[in-house]
Amino acid sequence: MTLFLQAVADGLQMGLLYALVAVGLTIIWGLMEMINFAHGEFMMLGMFGAWGLSVSLGWDPLVSMVPLAVIMYGVGVLVYRLLMRRVQRGEIFTQIFATVGLFFFIQNGVVALFTSDYRFVNKSLLTGLSGANITLGDVRIGVPLLVGGLIALALFLILYLLIDRTDFGLALQATAEDRDAAMLVGIRPQRMYAVAWGLGTALVAVAGVILANFFAVYPQAGLSFTILAYAIVALGGFGSILGTLMAALLVGVVQSVTAAYFPPAFKDAFVFGSYILIGLFRPQGLFGRF
Amino acid sequence: MAWVAAALVALLYPIPFERSGYIYYETVGFLVLLNAMLGIGWNIIGGWAGQFDFGPNIFFAIGAYTAALLFIHLGWNAWLGLLGAVVVSVVICAVVTYPVTRLRGHYFAIATVAMWMIAQPIGATWELINGSRGLFIPVAAGGGFAHGMLTMEFAGRGKGLGFYYLALLLFALTLWGARAVERSKLGFYFRAVRDDQEGAEGIGIDSRLYKVIARCLMAAVFAAGGVLYGFWALAVFPDQVLEVNWNILPMMAVVVGGLGRLGGAVLGSIILIPISQLMTATLGAGPLAGRGIDIIIYGAVIMLIAGWRPNGLLSLPWQRWAGRLLGRAPAQPAKG
Amino acid sequence: MPPLLQVESCTKRFGGLVANRDVSLVIEPGEIVGLIGPNGAGKTTLFNCISGALHPDEGRIRLDGADISHARLERVCRLGIARTWQVVRSFGRMTALENVMCGALRRTNRVGPARARALELMAFTGLAGKEDTPAAGLTLADKKRLEITRALATAPRLLLLDEAMSGLTPIETAAAVELVRRIHRELGLAICVVEHVMEVVMPLSHRVIVLDHGEKLTEGPPAEVARDERVITAYLGDRYRARA
Repeated sequence: MTLFLQAVADGLQMGLLYALVAVGLTIIWGLMEMINFAHGEFMMLGMFGAWGLSVSLGWDPLVSMVPLAVIMYGVGVLVYRLLMRRVQRGEIFTQIFATVGLFFFIQNGVVALFTSDYRFVNKSLLTGLSGANITLGDVRIGVPLLVGGLIALALFLILYLLIDRTDFGLALQATAEDRDAAMLVGIRPQRMYAVAWGLGTALVAVAGVILANFFAVYPQAGLSFTILAYAIVALGGFGSILGTLMAALLVGVVQSVTAAYFPPAFKDAFVFGSYILIGLFRPQGLFGRF
Repeated sequence: MAWVAAALVALLYPIPFERSGYIYYETVGFLVLLNAMLGIGWNIIGGWAGQFDFGPNIFFAIGAYTAALLFIHLGWNAWLGLLGAVVVSVVICAVVTYPVTRLRGHYFAIATVAMWMIAQPIGATWELINGSRGLFIPVAAGGGFAHGMLTMEFAGRGKGLGFYYLALLLFALTLWGARAVERSKLGFYFRAVRDDQEGAEGIGIDSRLYKVIARCLMAAVFAAGGVLYGFWALAVFPDQVLEVNWNILPMMAVVVGGLGRLGGAVLGSIILIPISQLMTATLGAGPLAGRGIDIIIYGAVIMLIAGWRPNGLLSLPWQRWAGRLLGRAPAQPAKG
Repeated sequence: MPPLLQVESCTKRFGGLVANRDVSLVIEPGEIVGLIGPNGAGKTTLFNCISGALHPDEGRIRLDGADISHARLERVCRLGIARTWQVVRSFGRMTALENVMCGALRRTNRVGPARARALELMAFTGLAGKEDTPAAGLTLADKKRLEITRALATAPRLLLLDEAMSGLTPIETAAAVELVRRIHRELGLAICVVEHVMEVVMPLSHRVIVLDHGEKLTEGPPAEVARDERVITAYLGDRYRARA
């Protein structure tokens, strides 16, 4: 039983981080229905940014989070303006094609500059807390991961409020639901898409910055997170940001519990198996609106 | 007229390389044909039925493993194995796909990815197929060209040429089959489901059934491709046959060429694969090797093509250009 | 001989809203029935329940006596009910001819005969010459005509027309009415027409059924219904509340 509870606790913490990785995709894909194969690569860039600034300037990732978010926001907008806006004119499959190219470009760009060696962020607030634990009964909760998770949760909630409660968020949702109608009320879809890309990219990069405290930083780190993020957004349901959070927590727990009882190779298989199972009963995900 | 020319080029392509000994280019041709064939198969579910299928490689793997097992344990000839592989693949496809046809659009897409994610650890650990240790296909060397064509067993010198023509044969069969489907009731019904699923149901089309049929046709093609690949590689490893490239590459080829049109898969393959091979050969080797420069450029090229021609390269006015090249004045604005 | 279509106490709710309450009606083979009522009366919901796009929460729908209350959309079409939609639908990326062929392929498996039938029907409904136009490029009037043609190609016994005249100019409307008359005259099917435009429905129908706030208000020959005070009140905006 303890093993199970520990696994659940670990899974929930990971789930919070997954939520932050996925929420960027919720905006780009879950709301705007644009496919980005390179989503995880932006996360990886965030990781490298954090590592780079830590090693060269000694900045704590929690500090460099802010400038990196701003920079990656710009990158996202740039990607939209230069590439995705043109690609939108075609079939949706072209978006996959284009972002596969982006994926190759970014990943190998980083390989060219930094090689595929593993890097680590060694000195930071969160790594400094390593070893500190909170104990609830028989369950040990590592403080660093908890703090990381709580930061992720805070950012997630800020975004939720932004999308759900502000005029801007409403405009974004309006564009997602009916582009032409949105135009009729004076919303400029191009601007909405660009901002969505900016926000989505910034958020996943910030997730990468936080993750850099716990995981190895290397160019190929992104793809597995990309696939998981897509599953999380779909599981949570399109158009529902809270759904993404719920789904992320569920995925974290399923992975963690699976790894506790089965060979770790089956972690993701169980996650995706759950997706199909849930999908059969709720074809629009847990909280999907469309 | 263009078809005849293309057929001739395809038939004669390897000859100069055979003479000069540059077998590598025959292999490139093999890969182009294999991917074009898979692209045509994927186009049935993706281009015609309009469903987002991002996990076709499970059928590629099922095909390769089935034929390998039949060869190793029952001594079945590769072509019989191919038949068996197609049957197994289609049955499995029908069974796993029908339930998820409840899911629409992107949700269906993730379900297909889910199948792939579930297949991976199964492939790596299932004893019957030797898990990650892989299955080796022991092929007898020394048969001639004709023998090779009948058994897919080529070894040594004749391998490049032999597999090129095997691929060409399977590609031609797939193309012919796809054209037949396109013109049949199935072709109409697939496109109706794509254009307006509820409207299609309103005129009596069982959309779930036809989505399954479309996917099964794709599964058959991928299975055949997997068999070809298995006998070429002489081994079937789970991480090779379930590799992400077998998902993306055929789809990219179709999209680059032009979704929904048979020529698209061919055009896309002809463009994408040689470019990537060329990049690897020039920039991926020598002093810049290992730094991924070739793939960076490849990625950039892909983005350029996608941004420049989001509807595929078939949408370019090829006929007009061909006309001008041959000295004819453009008669009328190019259609489409 | 049982009626072609029987709707028995059909009730359909969407959350707290009762879109159809206890609606019963009958359609005989070969008759044209008008279904009218103010906006929000539940006409399209009833059509959706009959055609299988939705299923009634209570009550039954019978075609030739057989219960089709929970049959899916495509099965209902195969059994002989075809419909058009309130917002016109077509297979935009296929040509007009291909659209109709999709309908014709309901009754034959071979493309050749389907094409012949489609050509025939397009000539019949006045779409000759537009066979190769992509459906998305047709005018609204032609799109509606195409939708009807496509529905006819499935050889239905009952055709449900959901506001087939909305959005049309007076000339287009007159042409559409003429088409419905011709369809009825020469193909002999039963037709149920949902319409707002009184000048269209009244002359066309043998019988008119009036819905209001989800309930059947009255039914009868057009002239009677038009004079019925309750119907006039319902349309003129005075709140008419049916006793529960």
